[in-house]
Amino acid sequence: MSKRLLAALEYPNADNINLAEEKTLRNVVVWLELNKFQRAKQSTLNGLKNVSSKDWTIHFDDYKECFGCPPLSSQVEEVHWLLGQAIQNETSKNRNVYLKHAVENIKTSNVPSVVAENPLDKLDFRSTEFGNRVNQLAKTLKIVPYPDPLVTLQAVRKVICTRLTPDCVEHPDKYIVTGTPYPFQDADLGFDLHDKVLNQAAKVLRMLYIHDLRDLQTKANELIVAVQNVTANPKTDTKLGQVGR
Amino acid sequence: MVVRNYNQELEYLEKINSYCWKIKKGFQPNMNVEGVFYVNQTLEKLMLDELRNACRPGMVGGFLPGVKQIANVAALPGIVGRSVGLPDIHSGYGFAIGNMAAFDMGDPNSVVSPGGVGFDINCGVRLLRTNLFEQDVLPVKEQLAQSLFDHIPVGVGSKGIIPMNSKDLEEALEMGMDWSLREGYIWAEDKEHCEEYGRMLNADPSKVSMRAKKRGLPQLGTLGAGNHYAEIQVVDEIYDKWAACKMGIEEVGQVCVMIHSGSRGFGHQVATDALVQMEKAMKRDNIETNDRQLACARINSVEGQDYLKSMAAAANFAWVNRSSMTFLSRQAFAKQFRVTPDDLDMHVIYDVSHNIAKVEEHIVDGKQKTLLVHRKGSTRAFPPHHPLIPVDYQLTGQPVLIGGTMGTCSYVMTGTEQGMLETFGSTCHGAGRALSRAKSRRNIEYTEVLRRLEDMGISIRVASPKLVMEEAPESYKNVTDVVNTCHAAGISKKAIKLRPIAVIKG
Repeated sequence: MSKRLLAALEYPNADNINLAEEKTLRNVVVWLELNKFQRAKQSTLNGLKNVSSKDWTIHFDDYKECFGCPPLSSQVEEVHWLLGQAIQNETSKNRNVYLKHAVENIKTSNVPSVVAENPLDKLDFRSTEFGNRVNQLAKTLKIVPYPDPLVTLQAVRKVICTRLTPDCVEHPDKYIVTGTPYPFQDADLGFDLHDKVLNQAAKVLRMLYIHDLRDLQTKANELIVAVQNVTANPKTDTKLGQVGR
Repeated sequence: MVVRNYNQELEYLEKINSYCWKIKKGFQPNMNVEGVFYVNQTLEKLMLDELRNACRPGMVGGFLPGVKQIANVAALPGIVGRSVGLPDIHSGYGFAIGNMAAFDMGDPNSVVSPGGVGFDINCGVRLLRTNLFEQDVLPVKEQLAQSLFDHIPVGVGSKGIIPMNSKDLEEALEMGMDWSLREGYIWAEDKEHCEEYGRMLNADPSKVSMRAKKRGLPQLGTLGAGNHYAEIQVVDEIYDKWAACKMGIEEVGQVCVMIHSGSRGFGHQVATDALVQMEKAMKRDNIETNDRQLACARINSVEGQDYLKSMAAAANFAWVNRSSMTFLSRQAFAKQFRVTPDDLDMHVIYDVSHNIAKVEEHIVDGKQKTLLVHRKGSTRAFPPHHPLIPVDYQLTGQPVLIGGTMGTCSYVMTGTEQGMLETFGSTCHGAGRALSRAKSRRNIEYTEVLRRLEDMGISIRVASPKLVMEEAPESYKNVTDVVNTCHAAGISKKAIKLRPIAVIKG
């Protein structure tokens, strides 16, 4: 891993580096400071440059402090951490270069770009006016508002998308599931968190999970039925039948 | 082997509580773990009487008593936890029927034993519900029984009415219920309400002998003989309203169809073939067992793997078989009531296997382990929220279908957390024999059996009336005792009681 980081930083002959060797490790630190970070005080830098000195470690401890490097179990790991830091610097410096290759950008570069004016972008989602209007909307749709109006808005969207489509308004029976009530409060949760409120929350999560699972199973069934429409051809031939003794 | 008298034997048995006995190490030689069995007062007497009889001087031959068989299983290499005997236990080939045992897949010495699965591989029970009530069915009960009898061929040597060639069979062996789905014999929802989704993925038809395939081909879609049956049942009592509700059972009087069948001659041949291979493997690998009938092979040996693959193919055979009979039952009902099976809401409530070995994850001594769980005459009973049970039963636990004997009640139970801990998520499978087949033939007259069923208002169609007395309720333990014991011991929970109004049998 260190080798790949060094290679990415264009360290000379990075493939044959062995950080376990003390001398190599010290050279790498000096190279990093000189070519990448350039943040050390002159005294520290001089101390680091003197790679065969006994006091090198003291200077190194000083040095890594100015990056806020956490104390790690070995110098190799600490250098690894520094390498990561250097890579991060490089990436943020060349952010534009990398972004050019991001998926969205590749896609849009092939399509003539139409800058759509989205009026919602100009909205101030934190204003009281926005909050009040969202809560009003929620009230009309009989949704309990949540302190964050954006979350309430999400719920509003969900209700509109599932229950207020033209087809759903015309044939509500097709969409509104009339399930039988189940006393889930009495159901065994399967574990105990020793906290009434947490248990309650876990139960709700269980229900949501089961709901999702049911949805997935229903979709799987629909898929099977679609395949059956092509493959199914059940046959019986009573002439073959024979009752035994 | 040491010969002990009955009282000396009893010293190795200890009653832990009113429903559970422990079999201590030393009861049989080389026991790796202890044994345990679940009984109530009545069943306890049967169990101990059997042991007492076997202790009488001069008693040789026949099967060993159930307790001895549980202990012999406890001496097999790689067994973990305990060797468990369920309330319906009775002597069988090697393993007692109603014995479950789990082997550590991580232990290279662990074994798989065909005797721990049984000859009727993936014998099991399927329950269909309808939206009909008793009063809808009673006037046409005889016609309906006849119609079922006409659709589902029964008896020894019966042949099915679904045309199949050898290519179809190969595909069915590999695909299990997915084959039935592809061919359009069943509904998509049937698959989700079936143990293992009706398909063992490790099935390999190439490991199955030609002989087994030849025997199996004409038998697909037939019920078979012995204790197998198809019954029209009526909900008699609901113990757990919400579990019943999840199963689509709303009220007492609702009509259901129960199908109890297995892999017919196919599974029998697979087991027979495997036993021959196992004996060779035992000699080669120096595997010692207390009983020659406990032939086994290391799970990772060629013989062990071949058996598991062919057993899986036989399991798939059984699921296709029960699926074909589901199709035929739906046809019979649809013809009788002149509506589609959809309109009759004839959904599969569940389908359980009670003769099978499966790889499962369990907690043993606080650690999660991968085990090969043998269930012979024992049903899987997983608790609520277990990832391997259908989404509709996540809150109630897996439905467990307990078929009664001809003319007696059947039950639906649900799996519990306690069962998961104590018995590797296993419970009983039915009534369990009390008398051997030969003995019941001597004791009971078949006309008498048929007359009594008639008196109870049960329509019956049988292929061979003379074999009926083997299956008479007297030959079995009382299924209510068995179910109540499991319920009281907490290893599963009663949900619904069903009583038959029409029976078809081999």
